[in-house]
Amino acid sequence: MRLILRVQAEASRAVRSWLDSHGFLELLPPIIGPVTDPGIRGAKQVTIDYYGREYKVMSSAILYKQMLATAFDKIYFFSPNIRLEPLESATTGRHLVEFVQIDIEEADVDYKAAMSTAESLLTHVVNTVAETARQELEQLGRKLPRFKTPFRKITHAEAVEILRAHGDQINPNAEIPWPQEEKLSKIINEPFFITDYPKGARGFYDKEDPQRPGILKDFDLMYPEGYGEAASGAEREYEYSKVLARLKQSGENPAKYGWYLDMLREGIRPTSGFGIGVERLTRYLCGLQAVWEARPYPKVAGIYSP
Amino acid sequence: MKVSNLINILTKLARKPGAARSLFQQYPIAELVEKAEKGRQSVFPLSELDEFGKALLGAPIYTRHITRYDTLEKILIVPPLYTPLRLRKMEELMREPLFTDVDTSCKFGGFNSSLPVAVASMGSTPVYNKVSLDVAKASAEAGIPMGVGENVATVWGYSERVKPSQPCFKERVMTYLENLGDNGKGGVFIQQNVEDAYDELWNRVYSDPDITPYIDKGLVGFEIKLGQGAKPGLGGETFVERSLAIKLADKYVFDADPRTVQKELYERHSAPGTYTPEILRSMIRIMRNNYPRARIWVKMGPYRDLEDVARLCSEEKVDAFWIDGKEGGTGLSPVTALKDLGLPLLAVLGKIMKLSRETTIDYVASGRLVDGADVVKVLCFGARAAGLGRPFVVTAYAAGAEGVKKYLETIKMEVQLLTSAVGKYSVESLGPEDIRATGRDVAEALGIKSIYD
Repeated sequence: MRLILRVQAEASRAVRSWLDSHGFLELLPPIIGPVTDPGIRGAKQVTIDYYGREYKVMSSAILYKQMLATAFDKIYFFSPNIRLEPLESATTGRHLVEFVQIDIEEADVDYKAAMSTAESLLTHVVNTVAETARQELEQLGRKLPRFKTPFRKITHAEAVEILRAHGDQINPNAEIPWPQEEKLSKIINEPFFITDYPKGARGFYDKEDPQRPGILKDFDLMYPEGYGEAASGAEREYEYSKVLARLKQSGENPAKYGWYLDMLREGIRPTSGFGIGVERLTRYLCGLQAVWEARPYPKVAGIYSP
Repeated sequence: MKVSNLINILTKLARKPGAARSLFQQYPIAELVEKAEKGRQSVFPLSELDEFGKALLGAPIYTRHITRYDTLEKILIVPPLYTPLRLRKMEELMREPLFTDVDTSCKFGGFNSSLPVAVASMGSTPVYNKVSLDVAKASAEAGIPMGVGENVATVWGYSERVKPSQPCFKERVMTYLENLGDNGKGGVFIQQNVEDAYDELWNRVYSDPDITPYIDKGLVGFEIKLGQGAKPGLGGETFVERSLAIKLADKYVFDADPRTVQKELYERHSAPGTYTPEILRSMIRIMRNNYPRARIWVKMGPYRDLEDVARLCSEEKVDAFWIDGKEGGTGLSPVTALKDLGLPLLAVLGKIMKLSRETTIDYVASGRLVDGADVVKVLCFGARAAGLGRPFVVTAYAAGAEGVKKYLETIKMEVQLLTSAVGKYSVESLGPEDIRATGRDVAEALGIKSIYD
C-alpha cells in the first residue's frame, strides 16, 4: 500500500508539473451544487437535504468546467466525486464509489486538440513516473511500456466492428460494455482513443457533430494491457438551444439545470476537455488488479467500510 | 343541493313540468350550475360525494349525451363451425378439446405471463396506492406483469412510508417481486416522470441491491410514459394536502405557493413533457445505454400521431408499446379532457391492427377494459396483451388480494371460453377473422368484417 500511494503521489506531481508548464491554472473544485453530471451509467447521485433544499454531491464537476474555462482559458482541478454505483460494478476492478478525477478544460479548441493534450499529458506522466518511481515499481514487479505520441485512434463504429470480428455482438448505439472494453484494450494493446460515440451513449454535454447528426465529437482514451478506460472527454455543447434539446433527449428536466442554462444564455466560449481518474491511473501504473487498491479507505459498491 | 332548487324554479317558471325536465336532460344545466358555484374546482370531475383520491375516474362513456364515439360494444366475437385448429388440438390430446385446454400463457414486453393481461401502471393516487399491495401480491401470484406508475416514490417515499396508511414505492415493488412464483412468469415495469427524474428513480432502482437480483433475472422493466388515455397532451393532475405540498414545493407546480398561502388542498400540476422524434429516440437509446438489463416499455396516450411513434419505437426495438385509449382511467383529469381529448380505444385498435403487420413490437392496449371478452377482442386486433387498471382497484377494495385473485380467475375462464369458441387453443392465435363489427361503417373504418358480411 505504501508503495502504491507513493507512485500515486509521483503521478499527481507529474500531472501538475505538465499542466502548470503548459499554461493550465489549477482551481479548487466545487463539491456540492444544485445539480451534477447525470451521465454516469446506472449509478446514483448523492442528494443531501439542507434547510429544506436539495444539493447534489458532484458525480463529476463537468458543468462548472465550461464556465471556468471561459473565464481562465485553460483550467484543471483534482475533483473528488461520489457515485453510488450498482452492485455489478463491484467486480469490474474499475469502479469506486468515491474517487478523484483530474478535470481538464480548455477554451476555443476542438476535441482533436483535447485529445492531443490528453495523449501528451498521459505520455509525460507514464514516462516520468517510470523514472521517478523506478524503485517502487520494481518492488511491485511492474514494468511499464514506454508511451509515444501520437496514439492510435479508432472510431466507436470501428471498435464495434473489431469486437464483432472477435465474436462479441454489442449494441452499436450504446457505450461499449465493461468486459468488451477490457477485451478491446487487450486486443489493441497500446494506448489508443475511441472517438465519435453515438448520441445516446454519452451525456448531453458532448457536442453533436453538425455534419454527422447522431455522432458526437468525443472520445475515450484507453490504457493497453486490458486496463480499459483512462480518460473520457469531448468538445462541449455550449449553445443554449442545443443544450436544451439535448437535455430533453436524455430525459432530463431542464428546470433542474436553471443556473447552468442561465449561464449558457448569457453566452460562453466553446470548450473541450476531459477527465482522468486518479485511481485508474494509479492502477495502471502499478499494474493492480483493482482500483480499490489505489486509494486509502476505498469504498466499493455493496461493501460498507470506514 | 342547489341544482334541485334550480329545477324547481325552472319548473315553476315554465309551468310545464315536462318541458323543463326535457330541457334539463338535454342541456347540461347541472354542469353549468356547478361551474358557477365552484369555479376552478369544477374543472375536475369530483361530485359533492367524491373526495379527491377516493374516486375512480375515467371517460363516462355510458352516460347519455356523452357516448359520441364507437366502443368495443360495437365488436362481437363470432365463432365459425368449421374449426381446423380444433381438429389439430384433438389429434394432440387424443380427445375432444374443451375450453380448459386453451393455453392462456404468452410472452410480451420481454416478460412471460400466465395471461395476456398486464396491470396498468397506477400512480400515487391515494385510492389506488392504499390497496396497491393487495394488487401486487395477487398479480405476482397469478404470474402477470404489473406496472408502478409515476410519482409514487416522490409522493409516498421510496423505501419508507411518509404516511402510515400509504405504502411506499419499494413496498409495492418488493411485494410484487417476492410473491412471484418460480415459473418465470411476471415482471414489474416502473415509470419515471419529469418530476421523478429529480429523484433519479430509475437509477435508484437499478442500483438497489434488493432489486438487483430480479433485474438480473430479467423481471424488471422501465416504462417511459408519454401521456395517458384520459388526458393526452396534459401532465399529471392531483390535489395534495398542505404538509405534503410544502414538501414537494420545489418539484411541482401548485396553484398557490403552499409555503405562503394556507388552504386545505392544493392543485398539483406536473408537466406533460416535450417530445420530438429526436428526443424520443435519444431517450430510448440512453435508457438502453444506462440500464442494459432492464426491459424498456413505452406507454402513450391516444395521440393522433401514434403510428409515427410506434414505428420509431419499433425501429428502436422497445420491448412493449402500450397505448391507452381515451376511456382509460385516471387519478384525476379535467372534465374537458375526459370528454373531448384524444382517440377512443376502438380507433387505437384499428391502428394497432395495421401497425402489427408492419412492425415488430409487442402492443398492449388499454382503456376501460373489464372482462375476458374485452381482453379477447383486444388480442384479435393484434395487441399481445390487454392492460387493465380500475378493475384491480375495485376488486381489491371488495375482497383484498383474494378478490383480485378471484377476478383474474374469471378473466382466465372467460378468455378460455371465448378463444375455444372460435376454435383456437392458444391466445396467440386469435386474429381479426374472429371478430365482426355491428355496423358496416365501423367495419370498413377498422378494416374488419361486419356482422352483415
